[in-house]
Amino acid sequence: MRRRNMLTAMTAALALSAIQGTTALADNPVLKIGFVGVTSGPAAAWGISNQRSMETRAEWINETGGYTIGDVTYDIEIVSFDDQKDPKRAIAGMEKMAQEGIHYVVGPNVDDGAAAVRPVAEATGIIYFPYAFPKPLYTAPASNAVLGMVANYQSGPAIYRYLMEERGVKTVAFIAANESDPLSQRDSGREAAEALGLEVVSANVTYQVDTTDFTPVLTPVIRTNPDLLVLSGVTPANAPQLLRSARELGFQGIISTETAQDAQVLREGAGDLANGFISVGGASTPEIASDMMNEFVARYTDMFGEYNDESNTKVYALEYILATLAANPAAIDDVEAFKQTIDTFEAPNPYMKGDAVMRYVGVSSFGQRRQIAVPLVVNVYQDGEFETLFVAEVD
Amino acid sequence: MNHLDPRRLRALACVAAFLVGVFWLIPVLIAVTGLWNFYFTLTSVALLSVASAGVWLTFYIGRINIGQGAFALIGAYVSAILVTKAGVSFWVSLPLAGLFASLVAIVIGLPILRLRGVYFAMITLVLTEVVRLAALALPITNGAKGIVSIPLPGELSVLGITLIPDFSTIQNTKLAFYHAACVLMVLCYASLYRIVNSRLGHLCRSMQQNEELAESVGVNVAYLRVIVFAISSFFGGLGGAMFGAIAQSVYPSSFVVKDSIDFMLNCFLGGLGYVFGPMLGTLVLYFGWDLLFELGQYQLLVFSGILILLILVLPNGLLSIRIDMIRKLWR
Amino acid sequence: MEQVMANGVYLGSQYAMIALGLTLIFALMNVLNFAHGQMYVIGGFVTYTFYGQFGLPFVLALLMSCVTLAILGALIEKFLFGPVIRRSSREESTMLLAAGLAFLLDAMILLVFGEKQRGVPKIVDGVLNWDFRIIMPYDRILICFLAMVSIAAFIAFMQFSKTGRALRALAQDRDAAQLMGVNVNRYSMIGFALGAMLAGLVGGLLVTITGVNLGMGGPTSIKAFMMVMIGGAGVISGAILGGFILGMLEAVGLAVLSQYGDITYLVIFVALMIFLAIRPQGLMGKPWG
Repeated sequence: MRRRNMLTAMTAALALSAIQGTTALADNPVLKIGFVGVTSGPAAAWGISNQRSMETRAEWINETGGYTIGDVTYDIEIVSFDDQKDPKRAIAGMEKMAQEGIHYVVGPNVDDGAAAVRPVAEATGIIYFPYAFPKPLYTAPASNAVLGMVANYQSGPAIYRYLMEERGVKTVAFIAANESDPLSQRDSGREAAEALGLEVVSANVTYQVDTTDFTPVLTPVIRTNPDLLVLSGVTPANAPQLLRSARELGFQGIISTETAQDAQVLREGAGDLANGFISVGGASTPEIASDMMNEFVARYTDMFGEYNDESNTKVYALEYILATLAANPAAIDDVEAFKQTIDTFEAPNPYMKGDAVMRYVGVSSFGQRRQIAVPLVVNVYQDGEFETLFVAEVD
Repeated sequence: MNHLDPRRLRALACVAAFLVGVFWLIPVLIAVTGLWNFYFTLTSVALLSVASAGVWLTFYIGRINIGQGAFALIGAYVSAILVTKAGVSFWVSLPLAGLFASLVAIVIGLPILRLRGVYFAMITLVLTEVVRLAALALPITNGAKGIVSIPLPGELSVLGITLIPDFSTIQNTKLAFYHAACVLMVLCYASLYRIVNSRLGHLCRSMQQNEELAESVGVNVAYLRVIVFAISSFFGGLGGAMFGAIAQSVYPSSFVVKDSIDFMLNCFLGGLGYVFGPMLGTLVLYFGWDLLFELGQYQLLVFSGILILLILVLPNGLLSIRIDMIRKLWR
Repeated sequence: MEQVMANGVYLGSQYAMIALGLTLIFALMNVLNFAHGQMYVIGGFVTYTFYGQFGLPFVLALLMSCVTLAILGALIEKFLFGPVIRRSSREESTMLLAAGLAFLLDAMILLVFGEKQRGVPKIVDGVLNWDFRIIMPYDRILICFLAMVSIAAFIAFMQFSKTGRALRALAQDRDAAQLMGVNVNRYSMIGFALGAMLAGLVGGLLVTITGVNLGMGGPTSIKAFMMVMIGGAGVISGAILGGFILGMLEAVGLAVLSQYGDITYLVIFVALMIFLAIRPQGLMGKPWG
């Protein structure tokens, strides 16, 4: 705790002592859950929506008396570390979490960070929940990472199959930013499409993430006239611009992506041109959102002024951690116990109407249960809001 | 020069104190306080300051180098490819990574070192992006998927005597990496100091002042520039390779433009006139960010605010504070 | 082919405007302003706030962007760059300040405007479709036109106004200008404010098409550096030319190389490096900037 004292002194000297993290309300012992991800710079939206959903949920739990694990009721504290999307920082963040005695960490948000923290996590006994898709992270011998969302190689085929059957899609084109995550997603998306018998008419076009005009990027893709245009791994910032350019160039087909998007951003950035855009979401569409989900959205909006639809998929990791710990209190400081519980854990999903369950999946993709079962909710954007197209499950 | 010169003695005492501090005091302090996570932070500082030392050396010939990230990435990939695909020991791949970075630097440096000022700065900046895009496109680097699951450094033995034990058998790999990085840093700065105080360093200073003049008195400027750039990139390659070994993975985004800029800023912050400037600059910039971690969303604001204040107070680098103070004492 | 040319002209006009402000500041003070992109982003957010949120007329919002950035630029020059330039022993030390400033502005943008991508309603609807040979939405044409008008106005200002002449004198030779009675400190401040204002103006213009988010700053600065280098550092006409060339290069490169995909930008950047290696002072620059 010495470091904390030193830091507090420093902070006071900077006349900023007023700004401190959330302090525990009651006398409950505190359970710390970590977050390592990007909350500044170009990709800030990803990490911030993560961090904020965790903080919203933690505050909610604390306000209502804490979370009971075994026979102790804990207050939840979220410790977050901004890795600036730099894998080197991500390692430092994971070390920091170990230092704080944290065993459960959400993040990192990108492929390289998730790969870089693996040695630390395994050496220091941390289970982490990345939002990155590379299979080696979750396949044995790796054992400490649990995929925090639906991977694109799982959602992609479901979407393509649906569109083939319902809309008669026959040809598909892919476009991706020339960065690791989107390119990997494009490659796996392409494989999936080919396996389903779709004809891939264009998959080579890439763009720089800082592109301000997508017309020249999209022109050759639109020329191939695909039935479906997939924006692989598109960031919420680029999606509206791509949609707008594609439609303005006269593209009539369907546009889809396998990442989560925000309706407000689409409405502002592309307006009506975004109608019909298919993306993967969580469970906040009215058809399936439970009362708890609605309250979560309300609390989030209260705390931070504006909701981010990306958080629909990001509310789950913390819930899974806590519920799994409740199922096996021994896991609170023993990740091996956690791993054993993973295989049998099952609990009702509080965010969805009906009898959906929370459990760990991933056997068919990774050979072991290293993924949380987030409902695969496929949304379509229409006039400023998402509507649920269909809901599927990952095994 | 007289070996009992008091200034020399004092410098030696400083070096000894530094070595004791790095290899004994810091591990003891960390053990006492239990702040184990500082090992990685300090390891990073050591490795980043190795790369920054290279940037500093290019400053020494009057070139603003914003391309060190490219060479660090090249180093990281060379080492990773040698270890995973050719089964070479990491300790052999480490110098090879540096050498390959030097080789690239020589090929690229020959044409571009004719440029000066912002033009050289710009072209090196573009170079960082070129290397990242090349890493994405080339098959040998495994493209966007990166190289993952790189084994930990193995044993290094000469004639049956183990010099460095197998890292995977060591209990505390953090300490092992810390020691390795610090040894690398000490060696690097020792050689940097040696270069600066050699004939080469003298020639570099004359080039920094006026290249045409240096050329006119018979200095082979073109040759010197390339040599210095190659040494600089060697440091970058070493730092990058070592990082790859710690992360056990390399991605095209392991070192990006931001890293290149950071390396340059480290030199500015520490002070361009001081050999140990980049080391101090790296420590302050990298460690400072970590220390401000508890400020949450205000971290970047406070960090950049302090940075700007430092520049306003000490525009010639942190180490310039010493000279100012001495001057004041004299008066 | 017509489409490629049209794309190039549109891209070029916006790039040229971004590069103008950067090169002006560089010419006057030898400062490579890493925070230029952040100023552009702030300009975008200001227009977003006034036009998108408060519903003010677009022109008024644009004006607010210009004013905000001009004031910000003047303050930055007076309290940050001015003192540091006077006191540092090497000119390049300002690069650290510029980078620190870029971090600071990034942090402020995040705190004030949030992390989300923002956009405003289209100012004009509809798409020009000339026989499928050129497809260009009307708002792009309008923005392209406005950008060109701004560039022309700026050139006229630099040529014919007293301030413009003083700025040009300053850019050419600082010491001589001082001897001739130009108030160097005052005009440095005006010049910096003008450069920042241009960044704000283009940010405000482009928010109607590309939207704005806090991550655009850094990459925009770097792209602007490239244009400035192509044209020649510190030369106004060079920056304009550089902007148009990079715009064309991207449009043509993307059209020709699209089937090779991943290497399009690699080729563009390598070509840029080769060009700079052959002609280090850019197209119109003084050698050694």
